[in-house]
Amino acid sequence: MTLWVRVVLCAVATAAAGCSRGTTTEAPNATLVVALNGDPGAMNPAVTTSGNTHPVTDQIFNGLVGLDETLNPVPELAERWTIENEGRTYRFALRRGVTWHDGQPFTSADVKFTFEQALLKYHSRTRAALQDLLEGVDTPDDYTAVFRLRRAYSPLLQRLDVVEASIIPQHLYAGQDVLAGEAAHHPVGTGPFRFVSYAPADRVVLERNPGYFRAGLPGVARLVFRILPNAATAVAALEKGEVDYVGSVSGPEVERLRRSPGIAVVSGTGGSGGSVCEDVLIPNLSRRPLDDLRVRRAIAMALDRQFIVDHVYFGQGRPATGPISHLLAWAYSRDVRQYPHDLAGAGRLLDEAGVKAGRGGERFAITFTHANTQQRLGQAIREQLKAVGITVNLETLDFNAQVDRVFVKKTFDLGMASYCNGVDPDIGVRRVYVSTNIGPFPFSNGAGYRNPRVDQLFDEASRFSDRAARRLRYVEIQRILADDVPYFWIIDSEGLRAYRTAFSGFRLWTGAFVEAVRPAAAR
Amino acid sequence: MTASGPRARWIMSRVALAVAVVIGVATLTFALIHLAPGDPIYALAGDGGSPEYYADMRAKYGLDRPIAEQFGRYAKAVAVADFGYSFMYQAPVARVLAQHAPASLLLGFTALILATSAGFTIGMIAGARPDGPFEAVTTALASITYSAPVFWTGQVLIVVFAVKLRLLPAGGMTSAREDLHGLSFALDVVKHLVLPAMTLSLPFMAVVARVTRAAISETLREPYILAAAARGVPRRRIVTKHAAVNALAPLVALVGEHAAGVVAGAALTEALFGWPGLGYLMLHAALHRDYPLVTSTFIVISASVVFFNAAADVACTYLDPRITLG
Repeated sequence: MTLWVRVVLCAVATAAAGCSRGTTTEAPNATLVVALNGDPGAMNPAVTTSGNTHPVTDQIFNGLVGLDETLNPVPELAERWTIENEGRTYRFALRRGVTWHDGQPFTSADVKFTFEQALLKYHSRTRAALQDLLEGVDTPDDYTAVFRLRRAYSPLLQRLDVVEASIIPQHLYAGQDVLAGEAAHHPVGTGPFRFVSYAPADRVVLERNPGYFRAGLPGVARLVFRILPNAATAVAALEKGEVDYVGSVSGPEVERLRRSPGIAVVSGTGGSGGSVCEDVLIPNLSRRPLDDLRVRRAIAMALDRQFIVDHVYFGQGRPATGPISHLLAWAYSRDVRQYPHDLAGAGRLLDEAGVKAGRGGERFAITFTHANTQQRLGQAIREQLKAVGITVNLETLDFNAQVDRVFVKKTFDLGMASYCNGVDPDIGVRRVYVSTNIGPFPFSNGAGYRNPRVDQLFDEASRFSDRAARRLRYVEIQRILADDVPYFWIIDSEGLRAYRTAFSGFRLWTGAFVEAVRPAAAR
Repeated sequence: MTASGPRARWIMSRVALAVAVVIGVATLTFALIHLAPGDPIYALAGDGGSPEYYADMRAKYGLDRPIAEQFGRYAKAVAVADFGYSFMYQAPVARVLAQHAPASLLLGFTALILATSAGFTIGMIAGARPDGPFEAVTTALASITYSAPVFWTGQVLIVVFAVKLRLLPAGGMTSAREDLHGLSFALDVVKHLVLPAMTLSLPFMAVVARVTRAAISETLREPYILAAAARGVPRRRIVTKHAAVNALAPLVALVGEHAAGVVAGAALTEALFGWPGLGYLMLHAALHRDYPLVTSTFIVISASVVFFNAAADVACTYLDPRITLG
């Protein structure tokens, strides 16, 4: 850099620094700044699952229930509930005295409207799960909402939190297009923060809702989402103190941040963008030779998952053993067929399958279609499978194009996805394996796996309300799938978040993660 | 210099060509983004839906219609200055563009001014003393800053000036923590502008410096310069008065040509620094396959590029007496 540039720069910086106020965080007027990696766009949480929209709207709106640290439902807009009629009727007693941010009262009519006009029509996951299941929502009075189901369905409550089913105000959305109406540009909710302003590509500003139904919350006066699309810049801004919370930290930065004073790096499994995720490789089961079980088992043995976890994911997780993450502890089972790293064994299986090594030691070639964020994974897989004579060609695409090729067009050999289990296996695991969900749409059963027994077990598991009875089904599912290897499970991710220790109280398992945050000094 | 008749005709033909180029770019962009694999619906509505759901959503936004029909509808809308509707923002594209344009203009013009003024000064000093140590150092620096991608340069600047020296902010256009007004707001924006403007300007600054250096040292070998020196005109005056003027014409052509590069480079710079401009918007919209927004952003950007080129051509006809029209 030339000298004069440096001189001018320092002069400007010094002048500007002298004019700015310090970054203080005293209660009760503290501002919390959260880094967000993309624009939230229109902010109607009941019509989208977007990972850029929900982190913002989940602080403005509420669900009927919340989720505690063990992912069990706790009262939110519903104060209590009873399950009747052998699990087919859910009766919710709504909290009284709750008002929308514009002062209008919240009633059961809002619940009915939200489900019928928004969630069941436009929220992709909630519609997929409940459209055929939910017979109707009755509102016998202003403070009672009754959900009538066509059959017993035990994970219903887990689907009613702010991420899966935010309740929106009927008085603002009725009579207008819930997708494109103006109401989504000035979101009005019942939640801890109310909307102040949104400057696209720059920031969203929220402020404390003084009339929030949970007394004493939220703990900060202003909440600003700073849009920083580049992850490295977001981390730099955290180190500099310009932002207080970063929702994802990439591997190379972890150690540096851990050593930084005043910054905490913690693993968080939940949130608005998907929770309890597993990164898996997706073989196209309709293509040779990946349709051969012996070939798939050989690949599973040739992959050194521990190496990948250590060097591709920088230790942010644990090698996966099957379709359910160990983080969903009540459903997870380790008692399944394991595939320890064994090159000789893999070679024998490939020989048995008739894919013999030709000249140069190559048995066959496949293409790994992946997003440009997964290039390190691609390189690791290529090297590891080369050791058993499988040539991996790398096809790097942008995220959207990769999703299109793997899930929609299905023109791939080996794909990749981060499948999030969600807060219940019925939400995020089932969709990956049941034969009724073989695309063509994103994050469906990409491999094209079909097993009637697995379909049946998933159905059974969703009918029992007792976790022990459900666990029995999920354990059997895990055993069958580990035998069949329809996917190569790589890592149970433990996404890392980082925040400045000037604040505490982040709830890292739910979308509503800011509600209880306070300046640490106020404790 | 020629009479105004040929000039007016020439300018008219330049404008016609510019319009044709913008229409061509818009058509090509529309075709390319539709041909690229991917679907805006997934980015818009999220994952985990059923096939019927995605079909409904496609129909709702007219994405189930043939491409030719979609293009016809879009062209008709653009013709009446309605750039369509952004899926991503659920808002009219014109509104979204208007929200992002000021930040881009601020960054782009600052970078251009910084690059030309600093580059010209450096080039002039280096050209006045060819083979001196200043020339050697600046030539080496120019090679580095020209060949380094803005993404890399930007990250280095962030690490040095924001994280290590803590002098300047790492990202954004204003401080998120405070609500500033008036002079302190302006200063806050300036503080945030320094790093992205430097990042964006450095490669172009290098080009300007090298072109100016070459033009100056070439001019200094001309007979009339020798004559001026022989008459006893001081060296400093010869460089600033005689040589510099002659270096201006190639510089102006260069600015016209590279304004395009500054605009294109802005996409990466803006994304890196979280600068809320059109470049960031274009990148974000392309990744989300927000067709109307991508195409419209390209129309605006290509129109400005074509405008810069044409303006530079016109300016050159005034600056360089050797250029004739007709």
